[in-house]
Amino acid sequence: MLNFIIRRLAISVVLAFLISLISFFIITLTPGSPYPWGELNPKITPQVKEAFKKKFHLDRPLIEQYWLNMRDLFNGNLKSIKDDRPVLQKIGERLPATISLNVLAAVISLSFGLALGVYAAKHAGKTPDLLTSILAFIFIAMPGFWISYLIVIGLVRFTDVPILGTQSYGVFFPNAASMWLDRFWHIALPAVVLSIGGIAVQSRFIRASMIETLREDYIRTARAKGLEPDTVFFKHALRNSIRPLITGIGGLLPGLIGGSVIIETIFAYPGLGRLGYEAVLERDYPTLVAINFIVAALILIGNLISDVLYAVVDPRVRLE
Amino acid sequence: MIRFFLHGLPALLIVAIAVAFLNETRLSSDKKNEMTIGSIAEPSMLNPIQQADSAASDVGSMIFNGLLKYNADLEITTDLAKSFTLSQHTTIFFDDPKTVPGAMGKLFFMRGRWADWKLTDVRQDGSSLVLTFSEPGMAASQEIMGLFDAKTVVPAPIIRVDLEGKAAETLKAWRATETGAKAVRDWVESDAAFEITVVGDPAPVVKDLQDFLAGRSQKGTVAAGDVLPFLAEPIVDFTLRDDVRWHDGAPFTSADVVFTYRAIMDDAVASPRKPDFLYIQAVETPDPHTVRVVYRKPYSPALQSWMIGLLPSHLLESKSPEWWAQNFNRNPIGTGPFKFSEWKTNEYVRLVRNPDYFDAPGPWLDSMVYRVLSDQLSLRLAFETKQIDFWGVDPWAVSEFQKDKRFDLFSYPSSSYSYVGWNLKRPIFQDERVRRALAHAVNVPEMIKYILYGYGVQSTGIFLPQMWFFNPDVKPIPYDVEKARQLLAEAGWKPGSDGVLTKDGQRFTFTIITNNGTEVRRDIATLIQDNFRQIGIEVKIELYEWAVFLKNFINKGDFDAMVLGWALGPDYDQYQIWHSSQNNPEQLNVVGYKNPEVDKLLVDIRQEYNRDKIIEMAGKLQSIIYKDQPYLFLFVPQATSVLWKDSYRIRRPDGKGGWIDSPVEMTKAGWSYYSEWFYRPEYADKLPR
Repeated sequence: MLNFIIRRLAISVVLAFLISLISFFIITLTPGSPYPWGELNPKITPQVKEAFKKKFHLDRPLIEQYWLNMRDLFNGNLKSIKDDRPVLQKIGERLPATISLNVLAAVISLSFGLALGVYAAKHAGKTPDLLTSILAFIFIAMPGFWISYLIVIGLVRFTDVPILGTQSYGVFFPNAASMWLDRFWHIALPAVVLSIGGIAVQSRFIRASMIETLREDYIRTARAKGLEPDTVFFKHALRNSIRPLITGIGGLLPGLIGGSVIIETIFAYPGLGRLGYEAVLERDYPTLVAINFIVAALILIGNLISDVLYAVVDPRVRLE
Repeated sequence: MIRFFLHGLPALLIVAIAVAFLNETRLSSDKKNEMTIGSIAEPSMLNPIQQADSAASDVGSMIFNGLLKYNADLEITTDLAKSFTLSQHTTIFFDDPKTVPGAMGKLFFMRGRWADWKLTDVRQDGSSLVLTFSEPGMAASQEIMGLFDAKTVVPAPIIRVDLEGKAAETLKAWRATETGAKAVRDWVESDAAFEITVVGDPAPVVKDLQDFLAGRSQKGTVAAGDVLPFLAEPIVDFTLRDDVRWHDGAPFTSADVVFTYRAIMDDAVASPRKPDFLYIQAVETPDPHTVRVVYRKPYSPALQSWMIGLLPSHLLESKSPEWWAQNFNRNPIGTGPFKFSEWKTNEYVRLVRNPDYFDAPGPWLDSMVYRVLSDQLSLRLAFETKQIDFWGVDPWAVSEFQKDKRFDLFSYPSSSYSYVGWNLKRPIFQDERVRRALAHAVNVPEMIKYILYGYGVQSTGIFLPQMWFFNPDVKPIPYDVEKARQLLAEAGWKPGSDGVLTKDGQRFTFTIITNNGTEVRRDIATLIQDNFRQIGIEVKIELYEWAVFLKNFINKGDFDAMVLGWALGPDYDQYQIWHSSQNNPEQLNVVGYKNPEVDKLLVDIRQEYNRDKIIEMAGKLQSIIYKDQPYLFLFVPQATSVLWKDSYRIRRPDGKGGWIDSPVEMTKAGWSYYSEWFYRPEYADKLPR
């Protein structure tokens, strides 16, 4: 097991570098420049441009730029072109907002996914199963940005409830509870949208896994010895079917930190996804290098955790 | 346990979200005395000399003040300066000290002309004559110089030295040498360049400097540059307000002005505003409330550069630019109506009322919040839920808001115009009649109607209609297809067999290029293509990505015609755009416009300090260039902002100790010009006294 983890970690490190190198080249291929003052500005002299380029290594060949950016990233000296602040500090600022949003989204998608999946499996082949299946397919088919816009525009049209950002502006809160509820409301909406796909996928996994487990010999044995049907279902079958849920947790890691570009942009939510999106628009290469590297590393670590959890939960699985 | 997960947790979540929703609907509609402004872009930093984005300057204008500012008519007025006076020292060098008294005598005989020249004083300084004028400029000095025997006057060449570093140190060492002591003026541009001014032949000094550098084994180039007939050094004397305090309580003094200037010039700061300050020879502070700025040559637009927000020297002087980036730029201290309070990245910047603002009693609003949202739609949604207080509407949506009685709309000309540039190096565009014909052939009013939904005005040349030096007598070239055909026929273009105009066997066909992603420009090109087809001109349209468009076509000057726009500040100096010397790759006169009369006006207007003469020259510039039609000038778009009706009023000082109370109103500088004096009507009784 330890051998396996070490080997996988080594491969992951190489992969993370490769991913960030390729993504850096792709980013620099996009037209546009990182100059904050625009290209056609009569007031900017060549000297000012040169000084700026030199400061952010933009006068170097691409491969050297990448190397210098990575070196600075590990030194902790990597600075954003936009505001000259350390990139790691900028990323750190976004973490609380990103993590709280994604933890809530994960809780919603796991709890509702589990409930729906179990419900469908309990009534397998009957109307409730059919309904939840249809619901799951609708959820999977709806693009996140589309459902977000439906919710946002619908709420604005029919109520005048604030939706964007992390809090309401310009109003007095009668008490602290009201203020915290306001914060919660602003996280809840994007979290619901973020979790919709997850609910659908989780419920399908759980349902399939449950139905498979219910056909096992030991379930038949349990029933044959006269146990309560509910005890058999919730205790014996459910426990053994929950594996896909646990291993799915590893896959949540990159989203937890990396955030979601589209949903965060629609809800004007200040998470890491939007930082990356804005860095793309501003051609803020150092910030992009850092985010790409971190997200690539997290995806690889997430996969590793999934595999390890799989072995931990199910002793029959051996990692080689 | 497992049942709790199955039923309890989902139920709990649903209840929590429902309660949160009810809480939102119950949040009272009685609003804080606060203004919330929405923006798509977040300020990069809050430091007037380092920032280059408009979001930063919007927020910064509430925190920082300059010595000067624009008034509601976009003309220069004082801000942290109580007053300022202009003057000029002109130094004329003679070959012999003995000729100077004769020259002075000549001037004393002509005492009657002094008032015309604005000449106030004459004195001798060794072998030079120093004249003092009460208005800067070149014309009077040139005229006086013409009075003297040309053989006795010695010119002053400028020598430029480019090195790899240590410019100031090298200059100081050289000035200590015998030749170095004789230079009449020196100036350090950056760590890698300095300039000196000498009298007489520059060759021996150049040689001496080269030897000097070689002796110190420094690499560098020494070159003789412009030869000045005399030194003309405009001087601005600012008297500062003595009642201004920084937000931390420290008094504002002339030291802050000098510090800001030095910081801008400092290479380590890499200020994008440095080019505005290159005309300055020195900034002196005779006392804490006086600043004297000496310029190296007359350049009147340089006065505007003192609108830059000033920095507190007591906080920044001993710190490095790295420290600024980490601390001050995210937590600024200024002198403005609002104090910085809090900055949540990508969420908001909150400013709070500065009770010690020098325009007592300070702004009416308790706080001002700049919210960062993600796109036009999110701005609109936030506005409709009253989460931001106003919003810049896209032209297509204006009519929708206009019908709605709940809103107030403000439309005003934006500070940009769109045009089609003809490459004047291409033979087909060289005939002025052809260019006029093309202007007659394009239906600009229709373009404004269909592209801008009517929210624009036809452009009549290089200046924007809201500027004080705009020439209203220039009338737009009307849409007149017959006139266009006639002019083209005069120029020798006759319809060919396929209906396309031809001349000497050449068909009238060309390509219009513009950048991808700006819909307005693409639509302009399409409408023009259609307009020109009607008079027998074949046009192809090509769209390129912005970087490719600039690099491969615009910067190289390799195109027939292009659609672009200029965003302009309230500045009459357009030397970079129109002077014939600015036609090299990567310069801005990309169309290759060349008119000796315009060249002269462009040079003269930058050296002119007299308001009436500036208006006259600008008027001429605008009418000549409009007549020459190097561009097909199209339109100035209108910007429209929408506010909830009567959500704010303005109560502003009338300058005489009283107050002017009015609804939110339009000024030439936009409707939000007085935003520091906005108040909510429901707080009218509670305004501080």
